[in-house]
Amino acid sequence: MSNKFSRRDFLKLTGVGAATTAILTGCGPASRYVKREPYMQMPEYNYNGLSTFYATTCRECAAGCGLIVRTSQGRAIKTEGNANNPLNLGKTCARGQATLHGLYNPDRVTDPMKGDSKITWDEATQVVADALKNNKPEEIAFLMGTAPDHLFDFVSDLANAAGINVPVRFNALSMFESRATLSKAAENLFGKTGLPFFDVGGAQIVLSFGANFLETWLSPVSYTRGFAGLREAQTKMRGKFVQFEATMSSTAGKADEWIPLKPGTEAMVALAIGKLAAEMKGVSASAFEGANPEDAAKKSGIKLEALEHIAEMFAHSGGALAIPGGAALGQSNGLAVAEAVLALNALADNFGKVGGVYISALAPMQTEYHGPASAQEMQDFIKNMADGKFKVLFVHGVNPVFELPAALGFKAALKGVGQVISFSTFPDETAAEANYVFPDHHGLESWGYQRVATGAAQPVLSGAQPVVSPFYNTRATIDLLLAAGQIAGGKFALTFKDEVEFLQSKVAPLMNEADGFFSAPDINTFMASFQQYGGWWKTTDGRTVPAAADVLNKSMSGAESKFAGEGEFFFVPFVSPTLAEAGANKPWLQELPDPTTTVMWNTWVAMNPKTAEEMGIEDDDVVRIVSEFGELEVPVYKYPAIRPDTIAIPFGQGHTAYGRYAENRGVNPTDLLGQNFNEAGDLAFAGVKVKIEKTGKKKPLSRLESIMGVYGVGMGEEH
Amino acid sequence: MIRPEEIKMSSEETGKWGMVIDQDICTGCQACVAACAMENNVTFVGEVDSGYGRSMHWIRIERFWEGEYPEVKMTPNQPMLCQQCGHATCEPVCPAFATVHSQSEQLNLQVYNRCVGTRYCANNCPYQVRSFNWRDYERPEPLPNQFNPDVTVRRRGVMEKCTFCIQRIHKAQDKAKSEGREVVDGEFTTACAQACPASAITFGRIDNPESLVSQLGHRSHGVKHLEELGTLPNITYYKGG
Repeated sequence: MSNKFSRRDFLKLTGVGAATTAILTGCGPASRYVKREPYMQMPEYNYNGLSTFYATTCRECAAGCGLIVRTSQGRAIKTEGNANNPLNLGKTCARGQATLHGLYNPDRVTDPMKGDSKITWDEATQVVADALKNNKPEEIAFLMGTAPDHLFDFVSDLANAAGINVPVRFNALSMFESRATLSKAAENLFGKTGLPFFDVGGAQIVLSFGANFLETWLSPVSYTRGFAGLREAQTKMRGKFVQFEATMSSTAGKADEWIPLKPGTEAMVALAIGKLAAEMKGVSASAFEGANPEDAAKKSGIKLEALEHIAEMFAHSGGALAIPGGAALGQSNGLAVAEAVLALNALADNFGKVGGVYISALAPMQTEYHGPASAQEMQDFIKNMADGKFKVLFVHGVNPVFELPAALGFKAALKGVGQVISFSTFPDETAAEANYVFPDHHGLESWGYQRVATGAAQPVLSGAQPVVSPFYNTRATIDLLLAAGQIAGGKFALTFKDEVEFLQSKVAPLMNEADGFFSAPDINTFMASFQQYGGWWKTTDGRTVPAAADVLNKSMSGAESKFAGEGEFFFVPFVSPTLAEAGANKPWLQELPDPTTTVMWNTWVAMNPKTAEEMGIEDDDVVRIVSEFGELEVPVYKYPAIRPDTIAIPFGQGHTAYGRYAENRGVNPTDLLGQNFNEAGDLAFAGVKVKIEKTGKKKPLSRLESIMGVYGVGMGEEH
Repeated sequence: MIRPEEIKMSSEETGKWGMVIDQDICTGCQACVAACAMENNVTFVGEVDSGYGRSMHWIRIERFWEGEYPEVKMTPNQPMLCQQCGHATCEPVCPAFATVHSQSEQLNLQVYNRCVGTRYCANNCPYQVRSFNWRDYERPEPLPNQFNPDVTVRRRGVMEKCTFCIQRIHKAQDKAKSEGREVVDGEFTTACAQACPASAITFGRIDNPESLVSQLGHRSHGVKHLEELGTLPNITYYKGG
């Protein structure tokens, strides 16, 4: 199809009129040529006041939720969830809503850049071509984010063809999710790789060990729907939810019981509950035999009666479910914690049952589960960089200078790489360190697809298409690599004409797949439906049942975890539910109050009010937090729901670049983390102890809640 | 002076839109707040002004604390927005008739170009859901490209609040009228209800006993906030648990 094909021709051809509720499709790169028009001057396909809707995929995280974007006069006005998409069924999170503030962010990279000066795309293409041609294949490396998948597939194909390093993927969310630990534990217990899926919606009692599944964990929109199902009391009994966590996250805030156990005792507590529950059920389970409930109660700070009560609920419920995740796994013994908690599910005999544990469906055309790199694998990658093994590094969709702990030394290792080329849409910290920035389109201006890794029962490939024409002089990274490959020649010259042709070649095999919710006889018809519905998915359940046979006979360790550093406080960094790793440049996300503290626009450290009082620390006092890896200064929020020996800091702020709304605001808690990993290679981010020093400074935090009435302030009972 | 017997109770009237919010499943994720801001061109105010309590949220998630560590509990998240009172306390105090009651929609309207910024209405609102534009807040180019053309952009000195997405109501009504039918329950919804991942917010006609919102509203344990003030709020809350 010709590139000159305008939307008007397209509409005439297909006879699809501009209607408010119809979702327009295109069978080629047509929507690339949607033009922005002044409001006074309507494009021919649009009537005054009528909008055009496009189905695409959210790229704020890698979950792959479908979006329907309302556009008007070529501008994206509003994102809504795609009701057809089995993952999110028409719903979005706050970040999906605010993605428009990324698209129309005043601080985007507008042109290809060499240092601080603009260059042309021809020059940029030549730079990439030279980088490919003039280096040995093993000296060329790609570091990519967890989205989008089509670009990852393209670079993987390029790596296969030309023999360059296979692309490495990383994202701070998967680091804080402890995703590698979860999948490793599943592999150890079930003998099969894959990401477990927990059917919260069908359960009757959920025990969650640190899994913040209502915030950012794995697939928050899908898990939130599951949580609503758990609580649904119209057709069944209202399900109960118990969260084990040292600080009350906003997920724990929704729990019926929040159990503030001592960090590091999660495995011990899980095994103790298993032992008590096994006795109550009259089941013999050697996995739990080593546990000592009295000892676990003493060490974890949970009353023995509470443990027995939880074990009783767990043993006698028809739908018991236990979930390991987040900070509970981000410790030196994280793998043991994950295995102990997964073993509880074997006791509940819930594998492959409603309200139980499954192995997530693989996406269409996917043959095996691939997780992103763990922090330890990133450390190896950084070592290769520092040792000068890479002459050129391409970075896309990830901001490692910000997302990785500074102590891992990514920024310094960039000096060991000859040439760093970033494809970042925004001027982030990594782009600031790069020799060149060749900006990709924003996700809403892009083609692509995303494999749904977990959260939906069916195998889902969520499709993306541009909903508006590119706002700036940006270029799709695949188009740039294709053009550069042609110049570089040899094995780099792939035969695709452009990104759309590559995309079509990738989804074409789906036409012959069974059980699709639509099929088509030819690629153009197929692509039209693919774009109209926002992807392709099966109508059948693709989840698999974990092998339960041996789990209860495995040997489990309940040893306490080890902590790095000498400080008196356990340190729990957690991902801000509203900002996550890349939301800080969107002003409305900054102005969303944190669900637990209601703080906006800044970072705080949550301290127990009694501890703060004993140390003579008040709200908004700036304290210095010192770990053996680093230190930072941050104002105090006296948080009533945290252990006295624990502090917590949200991750998401502390940018030194990334635009006006993100820069020089708050701190990055990864500055306190370093090279300690668990057995699965995940960062033991919750395995650090810290000291607190007073600074005498004050920094008032903006919060939505009034401080009136909090701890008696302003109510005539100050203390 | 209106005598009490002359007050026509809005519960007797037709055309009423209402909402049911299930606090038991609200996770406090703020998706509704972001969705509302995007739909209704609500401005952000920045760190300093939001610290002074000048943020413009039309909907906010309230949570309170009960007890002390370790027996501390977060109360169920409470999305608080204009209750579209049948007998609103903000209305009679406006000297400019900027906040008036709509007879046809039974909504509490805010007419921006009448508002002179006395802020009497906000002082009189027991729910504290009105927000005032203390400044012309900067939204640098190209952010205004995102503005919803169906919603007025407000400027300094004007009061604003939740409208139950009246632009969506009108659009649905116009469409139904042009097709010669009534608006069907569930045909459209407000931005907050549409986004909510837990489906904790349900919007619809409470004068239609068949609508989902009426069905949910008739469950026994619903609460209307500050009902004792006689404001006749149109939002029912379920605490659950």
